[in-house]
Amino acid sequence: MAQSFKFNPLQIPDELTPLRMEVRSFLLDASSDWSGWDLGHSWTCFNREFSREVGKRGWIGMTWPEQYGGHDRSALERFVVIEEMLAAGAPVGAHWIGDRQSGPLLLRIGTEEQRQRILPMIVRGDAAFCVGLSEPGSGSDLASIRSHADKVDGGWRLNGRKIWTTYAHLSDFMMGLFRSDRSKERHAGLSQFLIDIHSSGIEVRPIADLTGEAHFNEVLFEDVFVPDNMLLGSEGNGWQQVTSELTFERSQPDRFMSCFPLLPLSIDALQNNEDRLACRQIGQSLSELVVLREMSLSILGQLEQGQTPSQEAALVKELGNSYEQRTPNMVRELFDTPAVMTRGDRFSELQAYLTQTVPSFSLRGGTREILRGIIAKGLGL
Amino acid sequence: MSTELNIGELFAEQMDRVLSDSVSRELLISVENGQSADTLWNTLEELGFLLALVDEENGGSGLGWEDVEPTLRCCGRHGAPVPLPETLLANWVLAASGLALPTGLVTVSPALYQLDGNDKLHGGDSGVTWAPLCENIVAIAKRDANRYVCLLSQEQCQVEPQETLTREPTGALDLVGVTPSAIAEAPRTIGGLGLLPYLASLRSVQIGGALEELLSLCVEYANTREQFGRPIGKFQAIQHAIAELASQTAAAQVAGQYACRQIDADNAERGGMIAKIRAGQAAGRGAEIAHQVFGAIGFTDEHSLHYLTRRLWQWRCDAGSEFWWSERLGQKTIAAGADGLWPSIAGPTELRKTHALR
Ligand SMILES: Cc1cc2nc3c(=O)[nH]c(=O)nc-3n(C[C@H](O)[C@H](O)[C@H](O)COP(=O)(O)OP(=O)(O)OC[C@H]3O[C@@H](n4cnc5c(N)ncnc54)[C@H](O)[C@@H]3O)c2cc1C
Repeated sequence: MAQSFKFNPLQIPDELTPLRMEVRSFLLDASSDWSGWDLGHSWTCFNREFSREVGKRGWIGMTWPEQYGGHDRSALERFVVIEEMLAAGAPVGAHWIGDRQSGPLLLRIGTEEQRQRILPMIVRGDAAFCVGLSEPGSGSDLASIRSHADKVDGGWRLNGRKIWTTYAHLSDFMMGLFRSDRSKERHAGLSQFLIDIHSSGIEVRPIADLTGEAHFNEVLFEDVFVPDNMLLGSEGNGWQQVTSELTFERSQPDRFMSCFPLLPLSIDALQNNEDRLACRQIGQSLSELVVLREMSLSILGQLEQGQTPSQEAALVKELGNSYEQRTPNMVRELFDTPAVMTRGDRFSELQAYLTQTVPSFSLRGGTREILRGIIAKGLGL
Repeated sequence: MSTELNIGELFAEQMDRVLSDSVSRELLISVENGQSADTLWNTLEELGFLLALVDEENGGSGLGWEDVEPTLRCCGRHGAPVPLPETLLANWVLAASGLALPTGLVTVSPALYQLDGNDKLHGGDSGVTWAPLCENIVAIAKRDANRYVCLLSQEQCQVEPQETLTREPTGALDLVGVTPSAIAEAPRTIGGLGLLPYLASLRSVQIGGALEELLSLCVEYANTREQFGRPIGKFQAIQHAIAELASQTAAAQVAGQYACRQIDADNAERGGMIAKIRAGQAAGRGAEIAHQVFGAIGFTDEHSLHYLTRRLWQWRCDAGSEFWWSERLGQKTIAAGADGLWPSIAGPTELRKTHALR
């Protein structure tokens, strides 16, 4: 039986070293006042000022065409930039979704008008996006969503509720999935809309998460008008669009590097320590990380060749989430420090934040169980 | 690059045909009983597989390690009961150090030996796979700061038979003043661990192959074995277990590819180290899952599952276990300090060395 996945290697050429060093030195300067708590957030740390700085340097929308403000650079160049950002725990949350998902989606299926209007804003770090998929009654079973869009003169009228919408309260736009044809069921009759989050009729209610922060929200829609030109892609094609978007999302280094900043801090704390088990832990963690990075690069290569490596992306997310989830416990095993968070101590704040946050890694972006289901199906089960 | 890859895949396809035709339960049993698989071996020799890594001037195919990776993986998938991976490595290092290639079966001892002032070899190795069947053994020895590639005639070595999990003929070596039949200075690329990282890389690739076969056996079995009126593959618990097996398989395969690429880039120790840790982990977890999926039938001698799982348990220990390598990698990583960590993953490290051995 032929294997249902393949991972041909892709290597980053040495020519990209100057770019890497440029990003690294920018981050070295920028990072001096990041707290451990900030580092733990990294790609979920919303900091528009930082995003604008990144935008100024040409590191958002890197691969997009120049006509939309992009920089016509290669996917590998972008990979270098994003992995450097993640390694440093940089607060990239304000542009992450736009750069990773919304922009590429607009390039694939957006109208010319949408691209010209929105993409340059993302590139500058001026447009932040949230993703409106989940609803109170629809989590893993996304096709059961009930929020709906009714056709009206010149546009659509949206009603319903979205939930768990990360940074809806800070974003400019929502990419929202709504049922545009209520006579159809499940995967049919869904459409995606680009919604100005400040439209009248939208109420954003922050929800505190278990760390005490309100980073996600409930978003209520009451007769919200969205003009025709803000329909994303084609009417009724929302399901296909969203699932292809998820393939992009699932294989990138943010799916296995969320806890990376714990590693250098651990190594620092292990200097002059001869403990064999500690060495093993570090070695094992590093080996897993290197292999995940190879897998992620391979998927990048496949996407570049126009393939749709959904099975491979699900495998990387499954392995990557489990890997990053284990890291705070590894740190606990290494140092066994009391569960006291010392404010101002980077390592202590980071460990405290990540210990509480890792459970979300195998929920967001598709739960572990859903991913395993996708993999099993791909295997022919 | 792409044409090279094609050659590699063509080789692997041919290997797959040969092994599909010849690796049977009977053959595996006869090898476990101490016979060598001569017919298979002769076929592999005739088809030029033994010299795949040897350069063309010396009659080989001049392939790189990345090119032969699919072929090695194929050997792992079939549990090929021949020292092909070992022979590829032996011939590669012999040719690279300018030594004549022996005929017949040859294996490698990954231990590092001492060469004394009279060119006599000292040292030991607790388990050299295939040593009892091979006419020749290749090993690396040190003298002062220099390293040497040594070809040993098996007859001159004390080969103490050992029982292993694979039951493939294996022997311990205890050499006290043995004279090698040929000695040459080792290629510069052979580092302080001698052939160990290379063998670790081979085993990692073989693990990826064996896991691939386990995965396809599990899928097939889950779709056919029925309980409670339906195929067990309809139960989510089984689906998820097999999905995890798939993810371990993928990781082990990528690890093996990585190791081979690192050898080509003259960075064998790092490649072997990282790969063997990851593949070793995957081997254990993968075997565990497969046995759970197969139930009691998979636990019988009659079922062929154990020809794969016993190999996985053996290979994860051979040439340094995941524990041994991770301790070493951890030591090096901690010694390089926090600032060295990310560059060790993403670069730049020191300038890439040239391909010393192609
Ligand atoms: C930090 C965080 C940020 C998020 N941000 C966003 C966002 O910005 N936008 C957005 O739209 N959503 C967001 N989400 C929501 C996320 O997509 C959902 O949590 C996820 O899809 C799961 O849905 P649920 O929470 O309703 O759990 P449920 O679907 O109710 O699942 C509960 C449990 O049941 C399991 N389960 C469900 N169905 C099956 C099945 N068929 N087989 C086996 N097990 C099953 C699940 O795997 C899980 O373990 C976020 C979530 C988190 C935690």
